[in-house]
Amino acid sequence: ATLCLQAFLQMCNLPVRVVCRANAEYMSPSGKLPFIHVGNQVVSELGPIVQFVKAKGHSLSDGLDEVQKAEMKAYMELVNNMLLTAELYLQWCDDVTVEEITHPRYGSPYPWPLNRILSYQKQWEIRRKMKAIGWASKTLDQVLEDVDQCCQALSQRLGTQPYFFNKQPTELDALVFGHLFTILTTQLITDALSEKVKNYSNLTAFCRRIEQQYFEGQDKDSAAAMAARSAKRSLLR
Amino acid sequence: QGDVPVLISEDIVISQPAKILNFLRKQKYNADYELSAKRGADTLAYIALLKEKLLPALLHTFWVEAENYSSVTKPWFASRIAFPLSLYLPGKMSREALNRILLTRGGPPLYSLAEVEAQIYRDAKECLNLLSKRLGTSQFFFGDTPTTLDAFVFGFLAPIYKVCFPRVQLQEHLKQLPNLCRFCDDILACYFRLTVSGHSPAGQDTADANLRKLTQLVNKESNLIEKMDDNLRKSPQHPPRKLTTLKLAAGGEASSPLNRLSP
Repeated sequence: ATLCLQAFLQMCNLPVRVVCRANAEYMSPSGKLPFIHVGNQVVSELGPIVQFVKAKGHSLSDGLDEVQKAEMKAYMELVNNMLLTAELYLQWCDDVTVEEITHPRYGSPYPWPLNRILSYQKQWEIRRKMKAIGWASKTLDQVLEDVDQCCQALSQRLGTQPYFFNKQPTELDALVFGHLFTILTTQLITDALSEKVKNYSNLTAFCRRIEQQYFEGQDKDSAAAMAARSAKRSLLR
Repeated sequence: QGDVPVLISEDIVISQPAKILNFLRKQKYNADYELSAKRGADTLAYIALLKEKLLPALLHTFWVEAENYSSVTKPWFASRIAFPLSLYLPGKMSREALNRILLTRGGPPLYSLAEVEAQIYRDAKECLNLLSKRLGTSQFFFGDTPTTLDAFVFGFLAPIYKVCFPRVQLQEHLKQLPNLCRFCDDILACYFRLTVSGHSPAGQDTADANLRKLTQLVNKESNLIEKMDDNLRKSPQHPPRKLTTLKLAAGGEASSPLNRLSP
């Protein structure tokens, strides 16, 4: 989500500085990442931030008609529903990944036993949510199938266009980029998830294009470092 | 077993939405055969929108809103479920609905149930507006023939539209969107053979039975949606049988499993 937001702000041509903090979740007014600090205002979560930026006069979707806006919102929900939930599932419900990657990373800023307590707490919270929406009983293979289906839908919608709504990037492009780039660049136990995305060449080309266009203005190094930090931060979500 | 919806065809009993859809496809009923890949993708996206934005408010209206639950939903369901399950199941479904709403939509900055409720109804109304804009003046969402998306949308909208609850803010909002109301009425008239005028005294029983079926469809909507996606891709793609044969197979003919949907 952090990367989605960075992409969105870059697309709006707004200058942004990314800062890493261990207590980021606590600094945020809603407890959720990402959040932005502008002047003396703090706004959190992608939806409200987009609204805030729109109120200040910057919006990427003004050129769309009503039907297209409806479609954009529907696709954004699809991404949130499928990709985000799948990412969370993989981080917190797949035992191997949890033990070897998630727990150490999530608890790394804290001393023992706080690190274990906090990561177990977060895991319990996420698993409860998965159970409520019916994902707890899914196997990893089923989750990967869902991701594949979502990618297929996105790939079909994108087709051969440069962006989802043809020539101009919109919030949907930023959101999709953020998720796909994270999936493609985050090191996990297996590459199954990123393999699913790589099956769709127009999606990988899309990510590369956005990276080149909006993130290469800065140093190659800092872009890679930023991506790595963002990937790590999103894993900590 | 307390599981709905259930499909009974000849000797076969199938009880999960995913399997029901699979079964229907194998019998060569597939509403999406003629959809392009892009429209198939749109279907998935809109279903995600419905599930995320409209389902919480729908669950709330039916199962959490105290007046609605105690005066309509609970007696209705209890009357159709065998004793002693009728004492336990409605309560369980109500608790699960509240749990789901709070876990997925609760949390800061919304701290009280009232705030969560306000937010989910706002989202639901926005979703209804989006659907209305998407439908425009067409008869169905993808032109002149109904598809899976139409079935889904109908499954969500019809209970809101037709069930008489004491607290009806969502219904009032829906009634301000005439194209969605017309959409529901059309489908009800074509496929459920219900008089569009609503409650006719003679047909009250049929009306009740049909509305109960609709409500039951909605309550398992979450499972339906999740597993639908699997089937959209995995099942063999057969051309659909002509839909007119279903309409003409009036009362009694066992040729179509759709006629024998059981509560």
